[in-house]
Amino acid sequence: MKKYLINTGTITNAARGRDILRKNGISAYVGTVKGNIAGAGCGYGIIVTGMPAVERARQFLKANGIKIISVAETVK
Amino acid sequence: MVYLDNAATSGRKPEQVIRAVDNALRNHSANPGRGGYRAAMSAAELIFDCRKKVADLFGTDRPDKVCFTAGCTEALNFALKGALSPGDHVIASSLEHNAAARPLYALSKRGVGVDFAEVIFGDDDATVRSFERLIKRNTKVIMCMHASNVTGHILPIGKIGKLCRERGIIFIVDAAQTAGVIPVDMAENCIDILCTAPHKGLLAPMGVGVMVCLADLPNTVIEGGTGSMSVSREQPAELPDRFESGTVNLPGIAGLSAGIDFVRSRPSGSIYKHELSLITEAYDGLAATRGIRLYTERPEPGRFMPVLSFNTDNLSSNEVAAQLDNYGIAVRGGLHCAPNAHRRIGTLDSGTVRISTGYFNTRADIASFIAAIRKIARR
Repeated sequence: MKKYLINTGTITNAARGRDILRKNGISAYVGTVKGNIAGAGCGYGIIVTGMPAVERARQFLKANGIKIISVAETVK
Repeated sequence: MVYLDNAATSGRKPEQVIRAVDNALRNHSANPGRGGYRAAMSAAELIFDCRKKVADLFGTDRPDKVCFTAGCTEALNFALKGALSPGDHVIASSLEHNAAARPLYALSKRGVGVDFAEVIFGDDDATVRSFERLIKRNTKVIMCMHASNVTGHILPIGKIGKLCRERGIIFIVDAAQTAGVIPVDMAENCIDILCTAPHKGLLAPMGVGVMVCLADLPNTVIEGGTGSMSVSREQPAELPDRFESGTVNLPGIAGLSAGIDFVRSRPSGSIYKHELSLITEAYDGLAATRGIRLYTERPEPGRFMPVLSFNTDNLSSNEVAAQLDNYGIAVRGGLHCAPNAHRRIGTLDSGTVRISTGYFNTRADIASFIAAIRKIARR
C-alpha cells in the first residue's frame, strides 16, 4: 500500500499528531517533508499507510486543532 | 559547603539529572527538528517527551504550547513583549523581579501603560482588589510572580487569575520560585501564560527556561531559523516554533526531563514540607538571636515559600554574606535583582541577607547556619 506524508509543518505538531493517531489505532510515524521545498519549505509531517488511513487521520488531526498543510505520497 | 541559595539556583542536582545531561551529550548529539536522519529524530523525540512532561506538570494537555527558552527572564520577555503593543496597559505586582520589571520599563518607554498593584501581606482579598482598582479599558495583561524571591510570600494567583478570566485579560505568571515545589496548575488558576526557571525547584541545569503559552501573542522578540516553513520570511505563527528560533538546549532539556521525573516521584507535598520546615527552623533560630532584624512573620504553609530575608544590626547584608562564606555557608546579600520587593519592605538602601532552602538541605545545614550567624551578629 502507498505511504503518505501528512505535512504538519513543525516537528512538534507532527509528534503530537502521531501520538493522537496512534491513540486512535492508526499506525503513524514522524517523517520529513520531501520534495516541493520551494512550496512548503522545510518541515515535518506524519506518515501513514493507505488513503483510508489518511482520511481517518485528517478527521482526528482536525478535531485536535492540528493544521494540515498538504498530503503527498512519500517513499518513507 | 552549606548551600542556602536555592532561590538563585538549586545548588545540587540529582544524579539522574546529571546522567540525563551526560546521556544527551554522548548519545543524542544531533540537532533536534532540523534533519530527518535517525539521530536527529531521536533527539527530537527527547525534546517532545519533555514538552509532554512540562505540559502535564502545569495542567495542560497541549505540549505544543510549551516553548523552551534560554531562561525564565527570556520567557518573561517573550510573554510580555509578545502580548503588549503601544497603547495597551499592563498591571504587575509591586514585588516583581527585574526579569519582569525591566521589560515592563522598556515597554513603558514604547507607549505601553504600566501600573503596579500593591501586594498586601496577609490579606489576599485586599491584594486582588489592589489589582482590580487599576484595571482600565485598555488593560490587556496582568502579570505577577507566584512567590517573592525576597520575602517568600505566595501571591493569590488563583484569585487574580479568576479576576483576569472574568475581565478577558491575559494572565501571565512568573513561577520561578514555585515550580517543582508547590503545584502550579494553569487550568485551576486561569493562567494564560506561565514562565518558569527549571534550574531552581525543578532541579534542572541552568540555560533552559519554559514558557507555556495558551494565549495568542501578536509580537515576536527574536526571529530566526525554526526548521519549518523555511521559505517564508515570516516567523511561523505556530507554537512552539514561533518562540524557538535557533537550536534549543538539548542537554539542558534532557536534564529538565529528568528533574521533572525526580520531583514527581517524591510523595505529594513532601518537598515543600521539607524545605519550609527548614526555613521555619532558621526563622526561629534567627528570631532568638540578638541583633537580627526579620521582615516577615513566621513562615506558614500555604503562605510562604522557603525563602527568608534578614539583616544584622552590625554589618551590611553583603558583609554578612561574605562572612558566612568564610564558614562555608552560601547565601546571597543585596537586592536579589528585585529592588521593588526591597522598596516594599523598606530595605532598598541596605538590601537583605537571603537564605533559601532546597531539596538536599538538612537540619544540620540550618544548625550550622544559625551557629555561624550568632557569631557574626555578635561582632
